[in-house]
Amino acid sequence: MIYLDNNATTRVAPEVFDAMRPYLTDVYGNPSSAHSLGRQMKAAVEHARELVAELIGAAELSEVVFTSCGSESDNWAIGGFLEQNPTRRHIITTRVEHEAVRNLCEHLAQIGCEVTWLEVDGSGELKLDDLRQALRRNTGIVSIMLANNETGVLFPIDKIGKIVREKSDAVFHVDGVQAVGKVPINLKELDVDLFALSGHKLHAPQGVGALYIRNGIKLPPFIIGGGQESGRRAGTSAVSNIVGLGAACKLARTFNEHERIETLRNKLEDEILSTIPNARLNGPPDRSKRLPNTTNISFEYVEGENILVHLDQAGVCVSTGSACHSTVKESSPTLRAMNVPYTAAQGSIRFSLGRYNTEAEIDYTLKVLPDIVGKLVEMSPYDRELQALKMARSSESSL
Amino acid sequence: MQHTADTVAQLFLSPRNVGDVAEPSFVGRSASFQCGATLRISLHVDESQRITEAKFKAAGCSVLVASASLLIDQVIGRTTGEAAALAQQGELLQKKLGALPAERSECPALAGAALVAAIGKYSDSVRDDWEGDEALICTCFCVSERTIEREIQQRELRTVAEVTAACNAGAGCRSCYSLIEDMLEEVNGKWK
Repeated sequence: MIYLDNNATTRVAPEVFDAMRPYLTDVYGNPSSAHSLGRQMKAAVEHARELVAELIGAAELSEVVFTSCGSESDNWAIGGFLEQNPTRRHIITTRVEHEAVRNLCEHLAQIGCEVTWLEVDGSGELKLDDLRQALRRNTGIVSIMLANNETGVLFPIDKIGKIVREKSDAVFHVDGVQAVGKVPINLKELDVDLFALSGHKLHAPQGVGALYIRNGIKLPPFIIGGGQESGRRAGTSAVSNIVGLGAACKLARTFNEHERIETLRNKLEDEILSTIPNARLNGPPDRSKRLPNTTNISFEYVEGENILVHLDQAGVCVSTGSACHSTVKESSPTLRAMNVPYTAAQGSIRFSLGRYNTEAEIDYTLKVLPDIVGKLVEMSPYDRELQALKMARSSESSL
Repeated sequence: MQHTADTVAQLFLSPRNVGDVAEPSFVGRSASFQCGATLRISLHVDESQRITEAKFKAAGCSVLVASASLLIDQVIGRTTGEAAALAQQGELLQKKLGALPAERSECPALAGAALVAAIGKYSDSVRDDWEGDEALICTCFCVSERTIEREIQQRELRTVAEVTAACNAGAGCRSCYSLIEDMLEEVNGKWK
């Protein structure tokens, strides 16, 4: 299987599994226990905390709290802030956040919070002036992602943090789930108060995440119970998963093949766009504004789900933002926010590469994809539109 | 063929009846405002009102592709009236496709709607081309009194459904239903 769906999840790295294995076999104990077995587990958790703090550039270890997933971290950050500051009910976020933030903010709007939704342009980028205008002195929290999960578009959280500080007393939360491990992050140098990450996006297992809480920011506990995580998040620590997250962060810090992945992504993107007439890029053509591993391409006038099924048959895993995926019957809110025409949003495919992808895999994908798209183009009732695209492309290339 | 949950996958991966029949043809379209799927079905119909050839083109999910593929298989060789009746019974198609997830339950109906639209184009054209001077009973499919009488007599038909199956009369809006009943009574009465 060729796995080009690394923004959905990643395989557990063998190094990560090796680090976890003792904690699933011979080494056991409750990290809250005072005996030697417990202390050993506690030490493993604290070592993992150091590794996470190092990867994201947290100034203090106490700023890193383990959670069960990225969505929990996001929910805790925003929900916790509002619980702590019930009168500061103005929230600013974007139209293109992950569901963990977007659906939470929609819910909060329904129960009396005021939410300002920042729009994006056709490339999926924010206009920082919109943020400047939306901010008020008493804005409670600003929640903006670092990297978009569908398009890979990076938001300039350095500039955004400065604007937030300058214009308001708001707390700045960043959903960093899709970015950690793919781009360098140094929270010491950023005006970021809260930062969510998830283990399974960087080759740790599913079921573990973390929330960075800058020292001085008060959040009520997410789970009330025992004294785990300094009383901030009760529940027996998932030691093996936490160790896995730590090992994955260490692996990410030493990973030096980002350029190789970027080169493969560029090859995939360039060849698809130049050889398939109905292909169009969703996102800024300037690749420095995107994650190095992601390309989101629409195949106009055909159904993305059908491309996915055919690619799956051919042994290639991708994802689609189009209608009817799983149980949701609508096109991707991110692509809609970018004003991608409906007939293109329907045919969108996200290719997200990872550390284990090889050039041979990209070549194979490029070999099978044109025939798959061609077959669906032949089946499409939009024959005139497709013919027009084909002619436009061939006149472009003959120029 | 035993239809299982894999039917959709099989029909999707190797769809039958894809394309457009040669012109002149009768073309019907359907689209879903919910999911954005669109479908086009084109037909050839012979002088005895039977569908001799049909093809489809779709931009929609695998269930829609499978539905159109299967529906067309089932209507080739049938009269347009029979085909229209079949196309409007979404549950028949659904049964053949196997269990569908709830959010795909409308897809077979979308295939049916395009076929009914194509048959509608056919009946429009038959009506437009009608040059006969006989009394028309079924105005949807331009079936004359003489044709219905002949069919009832020659085939010894007893019910309106038999008449519809034989010559299409009554397959559209059904406003001629009672007229056909009267004719059945009259002809069969004479024969007694």
